[in-house]
Amino acid sequence: MRHGPRPEYVVRQAAQLVRGSPWLTGVSALTIALALTLVGLFAMILFNAGKMMHELGQSLTLSVYVQDATTPAELAALDKQVRAHEGVKSVTMLTREMDRERNRKLLDPELLKGLDEAALPGQPVLEVEIDADLASRGDVQELVEWTRSVKGVQSVEDVEFGAEKLRLLFAIVEIARTVGLVLSIVLLSSAMFFVFSTIRLAVFSRRDEIEILSLVGATPGFIRLPFLVEGALQGLAGALVAMLLLGLLHLELRSLVRDVYMLNATWSLLPPGMILWLILGGPAVGLAASAMSVGRYLKV
Amino acid sequence: MIQLYHVHKRFPNGCDALSDVTLRVREGEFVFLTGPSGAGKSTLLKLLLVMERVTDGQILIGGRNIHVLRDASVPFLRRNIGVVFQDFRLVPRRTVFDNVAISLEIMGLGRKEIERRVNQLLEGLRLVHRAQAYPGDLSGGEQQRVAIARALVNEPAILLADEPTGNLDPDLANDIMNLLLDVNRRGTTVVVATHDVALLERHGLRTLVLSRGSLVEDRPRVVRPNERLSQPIPIQALRAADPLAGRSTQPLSRDTAGEEP
Repeated sequence: MRHGPRPEYVVRQAAQLVRGSPWLTGVSALTIALALTLVGLFAMILFNAGKMMHELGQSLTLSVYVQDATTPAELAALDKQVRAHEGVKSVTMLTREMDRERNRKLLDPELLKGLDEAALPGQPVLEVEIDADLASRGDVQELVEWTRSVKGVQSVEDVEFGAEKLRLLFAIVEIARTVGLVLSIVLLSSAMFFVFSTIRLAVFSRRDEIEILSLVGATPGFIRLPFLVEGALQGLAGALVAMLLLGLLHLELRSLVRDVYMLNATWSLLPPGMILWLILGGPAVGLAASAMSVGRYLKV
Repeated sequence: MIQLYHVHKRFPNGCDALSDVTLRVREGEFVFLTGPSGAGKSTLLKLLLVMERVTDGQILIGGRNIHVLRDASVPFLRRNIGVVFQDFRLVPRRTVFDNVAISLEIMGLGRKEIERRVNQLLEGLRLVHRAQAYPGDLSGGEQQRVAIARALVNEPAILLADEPTGNLDPDLANDIMNLLLDVNRRGTTVVVATHDVALLERHGLRTLVLSRGSLVEDRPRVVRPNERLSQPIPIQALRAADPLAGRSTQPLSRDTAGEEP
């Protein structure tokens, strides 16, 4: 003879609890779904932003414009100084003519008709490719500091590098992270409150049954288990709805990134590990909330 | 089977529900517990079920001191004590079958075994045709028979009944009493709390009289050799189904009442 209840008995009782208050159960599952969708959405945005930053950092190019009067020795010293930085992958020296040629290629041939070649801008320049592991705004700041030190060299006229854009991007990501965290906590707390209340009402509506079960020799675990399973089921239902919503959001965001903003990046779905955590997160939230409710209101 | 030694129960409000109650109920005995309202009958039953703990004194059930029973062991003691209430206390959302099955579900029995035992008992109690009905659809007598079925289905050593006929008309009350007597004949120790004087006089069984929390009288069983105990009830059907087979020869372990399996 087994000591615990049969699994099918527990599931049947939990299903009866769901049937007892379908609307409330539905709302609880929906709040969990919304909370998990939001968590998943922010996770997706941050994951993709992180991926984009990483890709951006890997192919960062700095243009160090050198003054005309720079001597070969000064140029060699500058080249050495730039190469000394650990993130620098390669340094290519472009003469004035090469730079002018590059600029000419960038312009529309129609515009160049009848134009004096000498009017096109051109300046000796060091094209520096950097593989910077950009993980935060601090990393960008570090890179900015370094470019400032390069700019401080006498022979350098200017350093061009989209630092402000990068900094703005990182700032947006960091704000998104904070907002996402706060919203996720608020929504998850609300979802837990809903489950907590649903289970509390289920406990109250079954007080007579709980008393009878206790009198005929049911252990506290036997009496509590269906309520805990109900909470976990609400969470599981919420998680599955959240997965559906996240799948739709993923498709929408992917086409937005590709077609609307024409970003040279691919929008990826969350890694399988994160998806698994989100799916498990639903029942875990439901179970935790129902455990709190049962612990507080189901006295046997 | 049941022994009380100088049992005292005082409620938090200072009210003494039981004072210095000492009594003994032997295995297989049928005992009435009577007295006016507030005499302490229900409190005594609650103490036996460990719904309340004694303030002072000791209670032994099957030789085991329940005063020192851990909370975790209480459910396992209760599995050896069937209980029937005046208001039946059936779960309205469960069918007759499921109400009776509760006692077996908590023991973790398989579905087939539960079906076999419940159906057998319902058959004996003329309730098998009502197995899928809900308590709200049953008469008072039927509801009480379902409650008795629930109390008996796991073959307890003791059956406690608190005013089991209180809500029933005389014919149905007689029916229920005969059922309890039959259960007792099969070896179960039965304690019935009642203030129905007519019932006590009709059966002439051992009667413990409580008054203001004290045991004031212990009337022995009246022996009436030529008297039939009651009107006939479908005991033949009960015997045919024999749901309590083995009860009298091999009752649930009295010595291990309250122990975890």
